[in-house]
Amino acid sequence: MDLLQRFCDNLFMSVIIETRNLSRVYKTYRREEGALGALKGFFKRQHELKMALKPTTLSIEQGQIIGLVGANGAGKTTLLKILSGLIYPSEGEVSVLGFKPFERKSEFLRQISILLGQKAQLWWDLPPAESFNLLTHIYQLDPAQAKSDWQNLAERLNCTDQLRVQLRRLSLGERMKMEIIGSLLHRPKVLYLDEPTIGLDVLAQNTIRRFLAEYVKQYQPTIILTSHYMDDISRLADRLLLISRGEIVYDGRVEDFVAHAEKNLQLDIKSEETDFEDVIHRFFEKESGRRPTGGTLPT
Amino acid sequence: MRRNLAAARLAVLSQLEYRVNFLVDAVIQPVLASGVEVLMWSVIMAGLATDTLGGFGKEYYLAYALWANFVGRVTTNWMYEFTMLDEIETGKVNAVLVRPISYYEFFLSQFLGYKLVIGLISFSFPALACYLMGASLHYERIPLMILFCAYYLIFVHTVSFCVACLAFFMNRASSFTGIKNMAIWVLAGEMIPLDLYPEPFKNFMIHSPFASGVYVPVGFITGRFGYEFLWQSLISVTIGIVVFGLLARFLWRRGLLAYTGTGA
Repeated sequence: MDLLQRFCDNLFMSVIIETRNLSRVYKTYRREEGALGALKGFFKRQHELKMALKPTTLSIEQGQIIGLVGANGAGKTTLLKILSGLIYPSEGEVSVLGFKPFERKSEFLRQISILLGQKAQLWWDLPPAESFNLLTHIYQLDPAQAKSDWQNLAERLNCTDQLRVQLRRLSLGERMKMEIIGSLLHRPKVLYLDEPTIGLDVLAQNTIRRFLAEYVKQYQPTIILTSHYMDDISRLADRLLLISRGEIVYDGRVEDFVAHAEKNLQLDIKSEETDFEDVIHRFFEKESGRRPTGGTLPT
Repeated sequence: MRRNLAAARLAVLSQLEYRVNFLVDAVIQPVLASGVEVLMWSVIMAGLATDTLGGFGKEYYLAYALWANFVGRVTTNWMYEFTMLDEIETGKVNAVLVRPISYYEFFLSQFLGYKLVIGLISFSFPALACYLMGASLHYERIPLMILFCAYYLIFVHTVSFCVACLAFFMNRASSFTGIKNMAIWVLAGEMIPLDLYPEPFKNFMIHSPFASGVYVPVGFITGRFGYEFLWQSLISVTIGIVVFGLLARFLWRRGLLAYTGTGA
Protein backbone atom coordinates (compact mmCIF):
# COMPACT_ATOMS: atom_id res chain seq x y z
CA MET A 1 0.00 0.00 0.00
CA ASP A 2 2.86 2.32 0.92
CA LEU A 3 4.59 1.59 -2.37
CA LEU A 4 1.40 2.34 -4.27
CA GLN A 5 1.00 5.60 -2.38
CA ARG A 6 4.58 6.59 -3.17
CA PHE A 7 4.17 5.64 -6.79
CA CYS A 8 1.08 7.84 -7.07
CA ASP A 9 2.82 10.70 -5.27
CA ASN A 10 5.74 10.51 -7.66
CA LEU A 11 3.46 10.21 -10.66
CA PHE A 12 1.51 13.32 -9.77
CA MET A 13 4.29 15.43 -8.28
CA SER A 14 3.07 18.80 -7.20
CA VAL A 15 4.97 21.99 -6.60
CA ILE A 16 5.47 22.42 -2.87
CA ILE A 17 7.79 25.40 -2.69
CA GLU A 18 7.41 28.31 -5.02
CA THR A 19 9.03 31.73 -5.01
CA ARG A 20 8.69 34.60 -7.41
CA ASN A 21 11.21 37.46 -7.36
CA LEU A 22 11.82 36.73 -3.69
CA SER A 23 14.45 39.00 -2.19
CA ARG A 24 15.76 40.11 1.16
CA VAL A 25 17.62 43.29 2.00
CA TYR A 26 19.40 43.85 5.31
CA LYS A 27 20.07 47.29 6.69
CA THR A 28 23.53 47.66 8.17
CA TYR A 29 25.65 50.57 9.24
CA ARG A 30 29.26 51.28 8.54
CA ARG A 31 31.57 53.54 10.51
CA GLU A 32 35.10 54.78 10.23
CA GLU A 33 37.82 53.37 12.45
CA GLY A 34 38.95 54.92 15.74
CA ALA A 35 37.49 57.17 18.39
CA LEU A 36 36.49 59.91 15.93
CA GLY A 37 34.67 57.37 13.80
CA ALA A 38 32.85 56.06 16.85
CA LEU A 39 31.88 59.60 17.87
CA LYS A 40 30.65 60.44 14.36
CA GLY A 41 28.73 57.18 14.28
CA PHE A 42 27.10 58.04 17.60
CA PHE A 43 25.53 61.19 16.18
CA LYS A 44 25.14 60.29 12.51
CA ARG A 45 24.81 56.74 11.25
CA GLN A 46 25.85 55.86 7.73
CA HIS A 47 23.29 53.20 6.92
CA GLU A 48 23.61 50.99 3.91
CA LEU A 49 21.43 48.33 2.38
CA LYS A 50 22.85 44.90 1.69
CA MET A 51 21.07 42.64 -0.76
CA ALA A 52 21.39 39.24 0.95
CA LEU A 53 19.09 37.55 -1.55
CA LYS A 54 18.59 38.95 -5.04
CA PRO A 55 15.19 38.44 -6.73
CA THR A 56 14.86 34.66 -6.88
CA THR A 57 12.30 32.59 -8.71
CA LEU A 58 12.21 28.94 -7.76
CA SER A 59 9.93 25.97 -8.05
CA ILE A 60 10.49 22.80 -6.01
CA GLU A 61 8.40 19.71 -6.42
CA GLN A 62 7.23 17.28 -3.77
CA GLY A 63 9.87 14.75 -2.75
CA GLN A 64 12.79 16.59 -4.33
CA ILE A 65 16.05 16.89 -2.44
CA ILE A 66 17.77 20.13 -3.19
CA GLY A 67 21.42 20.78 -2.39
CA LEU A 68 21.87 24.48 -1.78
CA VAL A 69 25.55 25.30 -2.01
CA GLY A 70 27.50 28.51 -1.72
CA ALA A 71 30.23 30.25 0.24
CA ASN A 72 29.70 31.90 3.62
CA GLY A 73 27.45 34.93 3.22
CA ALA A 74 26.22 33.79 -0.20
CA GLY A 75 22.57 33.87 0.93
CA LYS A 76 21.86 30.18 1.63
CA THR A 77 20.68 30.62 5.20
CA THR A 78 18.70 33.76 4.33
CA LEU A 79 16.74 31.74 1.77
CA LEU A 80 16.12 28.95 4.30
CA LYS A 81 15.06 31.45 6.95
CA ILE A 82 12.50 32.97 4.60
CA LEU A 83 11.19 29.57 3.51
CA SER A 84 10.81 28.43 7.11
CA GLY A 85 9.08 31.64 8.22
CA LEU A 86 11.84 32.87 10.52
CA ILE A 87 12.16 36.15 8.67
CA TYR A 88 10.07 38.23 6.30
CA PRO A 89 11.10 38.70 2.69
CA SER A 90 11.71 42.29 1.61
CA GLU A 91 9.95 41.77 -1.72
CA GLY A 92 8.48 39.07 -3.88
CA GLU A 93 6.17 36.15 -3.28
CA VAL A 94 6.73 32.88 -1.47
CA SER A 95 4.55 29.86 -0.92
CA VAL A 96 5.43 26.65 0.94
CA LEU A 97 2.79 23.89 1.11
CA GLY A 98 0.31 26.56 0.08
CA PHE A 99 1.12 28.80 3.05
CA LYS A 100 2.93 32.10 3.31
CA PRO A 101 5.75 31.00 5.68
CA PHE A 102 6.11 34.36 7.46
CA GLU A 103 2.50 34.13 8.70
CA ARG A 104 3.71 31.13 10.74
CA LYS A 105 0.34 29.42 10.95
CA SER A 106 0.28 26.33 13.18
CA GLU A 107 -0.86 24.10 10.30
CA PHE A 108 2.19 25.17 8.33
CA LEU A 109 4.63 24.82 11.22
CA ARG A 110 3.34 21.32 11.96
CA GLN A 111 4.45 20.22 8.49
CA ILE A 112 7.93 21.69 8.32
CA SER A 113 11.15 21.41 10.25
CA ILE A 114 14.40 23.30 10.18
CA LEU A 115 17.67 22.02 11.54
CA LEU A 116 20.28 24.69 12.06
CA GLY A 117 23.61 22.95 12.38
CA GLN A 118 25.23 25.72 14.37
CA LYS A 119 22.35 26.35 16.73
CA ALA A 120 20.90 24.11 19.43
CA GLN A 121 17.12 23.84 19.17
CA LEU A 122 16.57 21.37 21.96
CA TRP A 123 16.60 22.45 25.59
CA TRP A 124 20.12 22.80 26.87
CA ASP A 125 19.48 21.95 30.52
CA LEU A 126 17.44 18.81 29.91
CA PRO A 127 18.16 15.29 28.67
CA PRO A 128 17.00 14.90 25.04
CA ALA A 129 14.29 12.41 26.09
CA GLU A 130 12.57 15.21 28.07
CA SER A 131 12.81 17.58 25.09
CA PHE A 132 11.24 14.93 22.85
CA ASN A 133 8.38 14.54 25.33
CA LEU A 134 7.78 18.28 25.19
CA LEU A 135 7.91 18.27 21.37
CA THR A 136 5.39 15.43 21.39
CA HIS A 137 2.91 17.71 23.15
CA ILE A 138 3.78 20.82 21.14
CA TYR A 139 3.12 18.93 17.88
CA GLN A 140 0.11 17.15 19.45
CA LEU A 141 1.46 13.70 18.58
CA ASP A 142 0.29 10.44 20.06
CA PRO A 143 2.68 10.01 23.07
CA ALA A 144 3.11 6.23 22.71
CA GLN A 145 3.73 6.42 18.96
CA ALA A 146 6.09 9.40 19.32
CA LYS A 147 8.10 7.64 22.03
CA SER A 148 8.45 4.56 19.87
CA ASP A 149 9.52 6.81 16.97
CA TRP A 150 12.24 8.68 18.86
CA GLN A 151 13.56 5.48 20.38
CA ASN A 152 13.69 3.97 16.92
CA LEU A 153 15.46 7.00 15.46
CA ALA A 154 17.97 6.96 18.33
CA GLU A 155 18.73 3.30 17.67
CA ARG A 156 19.36 4.01 14.02
CA LEU A 157 21.68 6.87 14.93
CA ASN A 158 23.47 4.81 17.61
CA CYS A 159 22.74 7.27 20.39
CA THR A 160 20.30 5.43 22.69
CA ASP A 161 22.70 5.66 25.64
CA GLN A 162 22.72 9.44 25.52
CA LEU A 163 18.96 9.98 25.57
CA ARG A 164 18.91 10.57 29.32
CA VAL A 165 22.07 12.68 29.60
CA GLN A 166 21.72 16.46 29.91
CA LEU A 167 22.09 17.96 26.40
CA ARG A 168 24.86 20.34 27.45
CA ARG A 169 27.01 17.38 28.52
CA LEU A 170 26.91 15.68 25.10
CA SER A 171 29.60 15.95 22.43
CA LEU A 172 28.90 17.96 19.27
CA GLY A 173 28.23 14.82 17.23
CA GLU A 174 25.87 13.36 19.84
CA ARG A 175 24.07 16.68 20.13
CA MET A 176 23.60 16.87 16.39
CA LYS A 177 22.09 13.38 16.33
CA MET A 178 19.61 14.47 19.03
CA GLU A 179 18.81 17.65 17.07
CA ILE A 180 18.09 15.50 14.01
CA ILE A 181 15.72 13.27 16.00
CA GLY A 182 13.96 16.37 17.39
CA SER A 183 13.50 17.79 13.91
CA LEU A 184 12.10 14.55 12.46
CA LEU A 185 9.82 13.54 15.32
CA HIS A 186 6.66 14.97 13.72
CA ARG A 187 7.57 13.56 10.27
CA PRO A 188 7.72 16.89 8.46
CA LYS A 189 6.74 17.10 4.81
CA VAL A 190 9.34 19.80 4.20
CA LEU A 191 12.72 19.65 5.89
CA TYR A 192 15.36 22.36 5.84
CA LEU A 193 18.80 21.14 6.85
CA ASP A 194 21.33 23.91 7.32
CA GLU A 195 24.85 22.46 7.61
CA PRO A 196 23.84 19.28 9.46
CA THR A 197 27.39 17.89 9.51
CA ILE A 198 29.40 21.03 10.20
CA GLY A 199 32.24 20.58 12.68
CA LEU A 200 31.70 16.82 13.03
CA ASP A 201 34.39 14.15 12.71
CA VAL A 202 34.35 11.85 9.68
CA LEU A 203 32.69 8.99 11.57
CA ALA A 204 29.82 11.15 12.80
CA GLN A 205 29.45 12.75 9.36
CA ASN A 206 29.12 9.32 7.78
CA THR A 207 26.60 8.10 10.35
CA ILE A 208 24.43 11.15 9.78
CA ARG A 209 24.70 10.96 5.98
CA ARG A 210 23.80 7.27 6.00
CA PHE A 211 20.89 7.90 8.35
CA LEU A 212 19.52 10.80 6.30
CA ALA A 213 19.80 8.76 3.09
CA GLU A 214 17.74 5.95 4.68
CA TYR A 215 15.21 8.39 6.11
CA VAL A 216 14.73 10.06 2.74
CA LYS A 217 14.12 6.69 1.08
CA GLN A 218 11.58 5.72 3.71
CA TYR A 219 9.57 8.91 4.16
CA GLN A 220 10.34 10.92 1.00
CA PRO A 221 10.12 14.43 2.45
CA THR A 222 11.00 17.48 0.37
CA ILE A 223 14.41 18.60 1.56
CA ILE A 224 16.59 21.65 1.10
CA LEU A 225 20.07 20.86 2.34
CA THR A 226 22.90 23.34 2.68
CA SER A 227 26.41 22.17 3.36
CA HIS A 228 30.05 23.03 2.96
CA TYR A 229 30.71 19.37 2.18
CA MET A 230 29.99 18.34 -1.38
CA ASP A 231 29.84 14.75 -0.14
CA ASP A 232 26.66 15.58 1.79
CA ILE A 233 25.12 17.00 -1.34
CA SER A 234 26.25 14.29 -3.75
CA ARG A 235 24.98 11.50 -1.50
CA LEU A 236 21.59 12.98 -0.78
CA ALA A 237 20.54 15.60 -3.31
CA ASP A 238 19.20 15.11 -6.79
CA ARG A 239 19.14 18.78 -7.73
CA LEU A 240 21.82 21.37 -7.09
CA LEU A 241 21.40 25.08 -6.60
CA LEU A 242 24.59 27.10 -6.54
CA ILE A 243 24.23 30.45 -4.88
CA SER A 244 26.73 33.25 -5.09
CA ARG A 245 26.38 36.75 -3.63
CA GLY A 246 22.65 36.35 -3.15
CA GLU A 247 21.97 34.99 -6.61
CA ILE A 248 21.18 31.46 -7.81
CA VAL A 249 23.82 30.97 -10.49
CA TYR A 250 23.35 27.29 -11.29
CA ASP A 251 20.32 25.07 -11.13
CA GLY A 252 20.87 21.53 -12.38
CA ARG A 253 21.69 17.91 -11.63
CA VAL A 254 24.27 17.20 -8.93
CA GLU A 255 26.02 14.44 -10.91
CA ASP A 256 26.49 16.73 -13.88
CA PHE A 257 28.09 19.41 -11.79
CA VAL A 258 30.36 17.02 -9.85
CA ALA A 259 31.48 15.20 -13.00
CA HIS A 260 32.17 18.48 -14.74
CA ALA A 261 34.05 19.96 -11.81
CA GLU A 262 36.23 16.88 -11.42
CA LYS A 263 36.91 16.36 -15.11
CA ASN A 264 37.28 19.86 -16.46
CA LEU A 265 38.31 21.88 -13.44
CA GLN A 266 40.45 19.19 -11.76
CA LEU A 267 38.64 19.84 -8.51
CA ASP A 268 38.29 17.08 -5.95
CA ILE A 269 35.23 18.68 -4.45
CA LYS A 270 33.95 15.65 -2.59
CA SER A 271 36.97 14.92 -0.44
CA GLU A 272 37.46 18.14 1.47
CA GLU A 273 35.76 21.23 2.73
CA THR A 274 35.49 23.25 -0.43
CA ASP A 275 35.80 26.96 -0.98
CA PHE A 276 32.64 27.17 -3.05
CA GLU A 277 33.17 30.80 -4.00
CA ASP A 278 36.39 29.63 -5.67
CA VAL A 279 34.65 26.65 -7.31
CA ILE A 280 31.89 28.86 -8.65
CA HIS A 281 34.45 31.42 -9.84
CA ARG A 282 36.46 28.77 -11.69
CA PHE A 283 33.31 27.14 -12.98
CA PHE A 284 32.25 30.33 -14.70
CA GLU A 285 35.74 31.34 -15.68
CA LYS A 286 35.93 28.13 -17.65
CA GLU A 287 32.69 29.09 -19.23
CA SER A 288 34.02 32.55 -20.22
CA GLY A 289 31.83 34.35 -17.76
CA ARG A 290 28.50 32.95 -18.94
CA ARG A 291 26.22 32.05 -16.08
CA PRO A 292 24.23 28.95 -16.85
CA THR A 293 20.87 28.12 -15.33
CA GLY A 294 18.59 25.15 -15.75
CA GLY A 295 21.41 22.66 -15.70
CA THR A 296 23.40 23.97 -18.65
CA LEU A 297 27.04 23.03 -18.30
CA PRO A 298 30.00 24.55 -20.08
CA THR A 299 31.51 22.26 -22.65
CA MET B 1 -3.65 22.55 27.39
CA ARG B 2 -1.42 19.45 27.16
CA ARG B 3 1.36 21.47 25.60
CA ASN B 4 1.05 24.14 28.31
CA LEU B 5 1.34 21.54 31.04
CA ALA B 6 4.31 20.01 29.20
CA ALA B 7 6.02 23.42 29.02
CA ALA B 8 5.32 24.01 32.73
CA ARG B 9 6.80 20.61 33.49
CA LEU B 10 9.84 21.49 31.39
CA ALA B 11 10.38 24.59 33.55
CA VAL B 12 10.20 22.66 36.80
CA LEU B 13 12.49 19.90 35.51
CA SER B 14 15.02 22.44 34.19
CA GLN B 15 15.17 24.19 37.55
CA LEU B 16 15.48 20.95 39.50
CA GLU B 17 18.64 20.18 37.51
CA TYR B 18 20.32 22.92 39.57
CA ARG B 19 19.43 22.07 43.17
CA VAL B 20 21.38 24.85 44.89
CA ASN B 21 19.91 27.56 42.64
CA PHE B 22 16.45 26.20 43.35
CA LEU B 23 16.97 26.28 47.13
CA VAL B 24 18.44 29.79 47.00
CA ASP B 25 15.48 31.03 44.96
CA ALA B 26 12.74 29.29 46.95
CA VAL B 27 14.07 29.51 50.49
CA ILE B 28 17.40 31.13 51.31
CA GLN B 29 16.95 34.47 49.55
CA PRO B 30 13.43 35.27 50.88
CA VAL B 31 14.26 33.95 54.39
CA LEU B 32 17.26 36.28 54.67
CA ALA B 33 15.39 39.26 53.23
CA SER B 34 12.42 38.66 55.52
CA GLY B 35 14.72 38.36 58.53
CA VAL B 36 16.18 41.80 57.79
CA GLU B 37 12.73 43.34 57.33
CA VAL B 38 11.30 41.79 60.50
CA LEU B 39 14.27 43.18 62.39
CA MET B 40 13.81 46.61 60.82
CA TRP B 41 10.08 46.81 61.66
CA SER B 42 10.75 45.56 65.20
CA VAL B 43 13.26 48.39 65.71
CA ILE B 44 10.90 50.97 64.19
CA MET B 45 7.96 49.88 66.33
CA ALA B 46 10.14 49.75 69.47
CA GLY B 47 11.29 53.33 68.83
CA LEU B 48 7.76 54.73 68.45
CA ALA B 49 6.02 56.51 71.31
CA THR B 50 2.70 54.83 70.42
CA ASP B 51 1.80 51.16 69.79
CA THR B 52 0.47 51.79 66.31
CA LEU B 53 1.75 53.18 63.03
CA GLY B 54 -0.70 54.31 60.35
CA GLY B 55 -3.46 52.73 62.42
CA PHE B 56 -1.83 49.27 62.60
CA GLY B 57 0.03 47.53 65.40
CA LYS B 58 3.35 45.69 65.65
CA GLU B 59 1.86 42.23 64.83
CA TYR B 60 0.48 43.50 61.56
CA TYR B 61 3.86 44.89 60.46
CA LEU B 62 5.66 41.73 61.50
CA ALA B 63 3.24 39.59 59.51
CA TYR B 64 3.54 41.97 56.53
CA ALA B 65 7.35 41.93 56.69
CA LEU B 66 7.36 38.13 56.90
CA TRP B 67 5.11 37.64 53.90
CA ALA B 68 6.11 40.56 51.67
CA ASN B 69 9.48 39.15 50.67
CA PHE B 70 8.19 35.67 49.94
CA VAL B 71 5.25 36.93 47.88
CA GLY B 72 7.48 39.55 46.22
CA ARG B 73 10.00 36.90 45.14
CA VAL B 74 7.27 34.79 43.61
CA THR B 75 5.56 37.66 41.79
CA THR B 76 8.71 39.13 40.25
CA ASN B 77 10.16 37.99 36.96
CA TRP B 78 13.92 38.10 36.60
CA MET B 79 14.94 34.74 35.21
CA TYR B 80 12.44 34.23 32.38
CA GLU B 81 12.65 37.86 31.31
CA PHE B 82 16.44 37.55 31.01
CA THR B 83 15.99 34.26 29.15
CA MET B 84 13.57 35.79 26.63
CA LEU B 85 15.85 38.82 26.17
CA ASP B 86 18.86 36.58 25.62
CA GLU B 87 17.01 34.32 23.19
CA ILE B 88 15.82 37.22 21.06
CA GLU B 89 19.23 38.89 21.11
CA THR B 90 21.16 35.75 20.21
CA GLY B 91 18.65 34.08 17.87
CA LYS B 92 17.83 31.15 20.16
CA VAL B 93 14.24 32.32 19.72
CA ASN B 94 14.33 30.52 16.35
CA ALA B 95 13.84 27.19 18.12
CA VAL B 96 10.35 28.28 19.22
CA LEU B 97 9.48 30.42 16.18
CA VAL B 98 9.49 27.36 13.91
CA ARG B 99 7.27 25.31 16.21
CA PRO B 100 3.46 25.42 16.46
CA ILE B 101 3.35 27.28 19.79
CA SER B 102 3.52 31.02 20.37
CA TYR B 103 6.54 32.44 22.13
CA TYR B 104 4.32 34.26 24.64
CA GLU B 105 2.39 31.11 25.48
CA PHE B 106 5.50 28.94 25.69
CA PHE B 107 7.15 31.17 28.28
CA LEU B 108 3.93 31.93 30.16
CA SER B 109 3.43 28.18 30.72
CA GLN B 110 6.99 27.78 31.94
CA PHE B 111 6.79 30.85 34.16
CA LEU B 112 3.51 29.77 35.81
CA GLY B 113 4.71 26.20 36.29
CA TYR B 114 7.95 27.23 37.92
CA LYS B 115 6.40 29.92 40.13
CA LEU B 116 3.65 27.61 41.32
CA VAL B 117 6.20 25.13 42.63
CA ILE B 118 8.38 27.86 44.14
CA GLY B 119 5.31 29.50 45.72
CA LEU B 120 3.97 26.34 47.33
CA ILE B 121 7.36 25.56 48.86
CA SER B 122 8.35 29.03 49.97
CA PHE B 123 4.93 30.15 51.33
CA SER B 124 5.05 27.42 53.94
CA PHE B 125 7.92 29.24 55.69
CA PRO B 126 6.16 32.53 56.53
CA ALA B 127 2.96 30.63 57.36
CA LEU B 128 4.86 28.57 59.91
CA ALA B 129 6.74 31.62 61.22
CA CYS B 130 3.47 33.56 61.66
CA TYR B 131 2.02 30.64 63.57
CA LEU B 132 5.05 30.39 65.89
CA MET B 133 5.28 34.17 66.43
CA GLY B 134 1.55 34.61 66.88
CA ALA B 135 1.42 37.24 64.13
CA SER B 136 -2.01 38.12 62.72
CA LEU B 137 -2.92 35.97 59.72
CA HIS B 138 -6.12 34.68 58.05
CA TYR B 139 -4.99 31.15 57.16
CA GLU B 140 -8.28 30.36 55.39
CA ARG B 141 -7.53 33.08 52.84
CA ILE B 142 -4.19 31.62 51.71
CA PRO B 143 -5.57 29.39 48.87
CA LEU B 144 -7.45 32.35 47.35
CA MET B 145 -4.33 34.51 47.73
CA ILE B 146 -2.30 31.90 45.78
CA LEU B 147 -4.88 31.90 42.96
CA PHE B 148 -4.83 35.69 42.92
CA CYS B 149 -1.01 35.68 42.67
CA ALA B 150 -1.20 33.18 39.79
CA TYR B 151 -3.53 35.56 37.92
CA TYR B 152 -1.20 38.48 38.65
CA LEU B 153 1.68 36.45 37.16
CA ILE B 154 -0.03 36.66 33.76
CA PHE B 155 0.24 40.44 34.07
CA VAL B 156 3.89 40.18 35.18
CA HIS B 157 4.73 37.93 32.23
CA THR B 158 3.00 40.29 29.80
CA VAL B 159 5.06 43.24 31.06
CA SER B 160 8.22 41.10 30.82
CA PHE B 161 7.28 40.11 27.29
CA CYS B 162 7.09 43.82 26.34
CA VAL B 163 10.59 44.36 27.76
CA ALA B 164 11.89 41.26 25.98
CA CYS B 165 10.53 42.52 22.64
CA LEU B 166 12.82 45.54 22.95
CA ALA B 167 15.70 43.15 22.20
CA PHE B 168 14.49 43.09 18.58
CA PHE B 169 15.39 46.76 18.27
CA MET B 170 18.37 47.29 20.58
CA ASN B 171 21.29 45.57 22.25
CA ARG B 172 21.43 45.26 26.02
CA ALA B 173 17.70 45.73 26.46
CA SER B 174 18.24 43.76 29.68
CA SER B 175 19.14 47.01 31.44
CA PHE B 176 15.40 47.77 31.42
CA THR B 177 14.74 44.68 33.53
CA GLY B 178 16.61 46.14 36.50
CA ILE B 179 14.87 49.51 36.28
CA LYS B 180 11.45 47.93 35.78
CA ASN B 181 11.81 45.50 38.68
CA MET B 182 13.07 48.28 40.96
CA ALA B 183 9.98 50.33 40.09
CA ILE B 184 7.72 47.32 40.69
CA TRP B 185 9.47 46.71 44.01
CA VAL B 186 8.34 50.15 45.18
CA LEU B 187 4.94 50.17 43.44
CA ALA B 188 4.04 46.72 44.79
CA GLY B 189 4.78 47.75 48.39
CA GLU B 190 7.38 45.08 49.02
CA MET B 191 9.57 47.33 51.16
CA ILE B 192 6.96 49.63 52.69
CA PRO B 193 3.19 48.97 52.85
CA LEU B 194 1.52 51.27 50.31
CA ASP B 195 -0.85 52.87 52.83
CA LEU B 196 2.11 54.50 54.57
CA TYR B 197 2.79 56.65 51.45
CA PRO B 198 1.37 60.19 51.42
CA GLU B 199 -1.54 61.19 49.17
CA PRO B 200 -1.92 61.45 46.19
CA PHE B 201 0.72 58.71 45.62
CA LYS B 202 -1.01 56.36 48.02
CA ASN B 203 -4.32 56.35 46.16
CA PHE B 204 -2.65 55.93 42.77
CA MET B 205 -0.33 53.14 43.94
CA ILE B 206 -2.99 51.17 45.77
CA HIS B 207 -5.22 51.11 42.69
CA SER B 208 -2.49 50.35 40.14
CA PRO B 209 -2.17 46.72 39.01
CA PHE B 210 1.37 46.59 40.44
CA ALA B 211 -0.06 46.74 44.00
CA SER B 212 -1.34 43.21 43.39
CA GLY B 213 2.25 41.98 43.42
CA VAL B 214 2.68 42.27 47.21
CA TYR B 215 0.46 44.80 48.94
CA VAL B 216 -2.91 43.30 47.92
CA PRO B 217 -2.21 39.59 48.55
CA VAL B 218 -0.31 40.25 51.79
CA GLY B 219 -2.87 42.81 52.97
CA PHE B 220 -5.62 40.28 52.21
CA ILE B 221 -4.18 37.42 54.29
CA THR B 222 -3.04 39.70 57.11
CA GLY B 223 -6.56 41.14 57.38
CA ARG B 224 -5.78 44.68 56.32
CA PHE B 225 -8.77 44.57 53.99
CA GLY B 226 -11.43 42.12 52.88
CA TYR B 227 -12.72 40.37 49.77
CA GLU B 228 -14.18 43.51 48.16
CA PHE B 229 -10.79 45.13 47.71
CA LEU B 230 -9.41 41.88 46.29
CA TRP B 231 -12.08 41.88 43.55
CA GLN B 232 -11.31 45.54 42.79
CA SER B 233 -7.65 44.64 42.41
CA LEU B 234 -8.58 41.76 40.13
CA ILE B 235 -10.23 44.27 37.77
CA SER B 236 -7.15 46.50 37.93
CA VAL B 237 -4.90 43.54 37.04
CA THR B 238 -7.22 42.58 34.17
CA ILE B 239 -7.02 46.09 32.74
CA GLY B 240 -3.22 45.89 33.09
CA ILE B 241 -3.13 42.59 31.18
CA VAL B 242 -5.22 44.06 28.35
CA VAL B 243 -3.16 47.27 28.08
CA PHE B 244 0.26 45.58 28.24
CA GLY B 245 -1.07 42.72 26.11
CA LEU B 246 -1.88 45.13 23.30
CA LEU B 247 1.53 46.76 23.68
CA ALA B 248 3.23 43.34 23.63
CA ARG B 249 1.35 42.35 20.47
CA PHE B 250 2.40 45.57 18.76
CA LEU B 251 6.06 45.25 19.81
CA TRP B 252 6.23 41.57 18.86
CA ARG B 253 4.84 42.18 15.36
CA ARG B 254 7.14 45.13 14.75
CA GLY B 255 10.03 43.14 16.20
CA LEU B 256 9.50 40.21 13.85
CA LEU B 257 9.50 42.60 10.90
CA ALA B 258 12.89 43.89 12.01
CA TYR B 259 14.24 40.47 12.98
CA THR B 260 17.07 39.05 10.93
CA GLY B 261 17.17 35.56 12.42
CA THR B 262 20.42 36.29 14.19
CA GLY B 263 22.95 33.52 14.50
CA ALA B 264 21.08 30.97 12.44
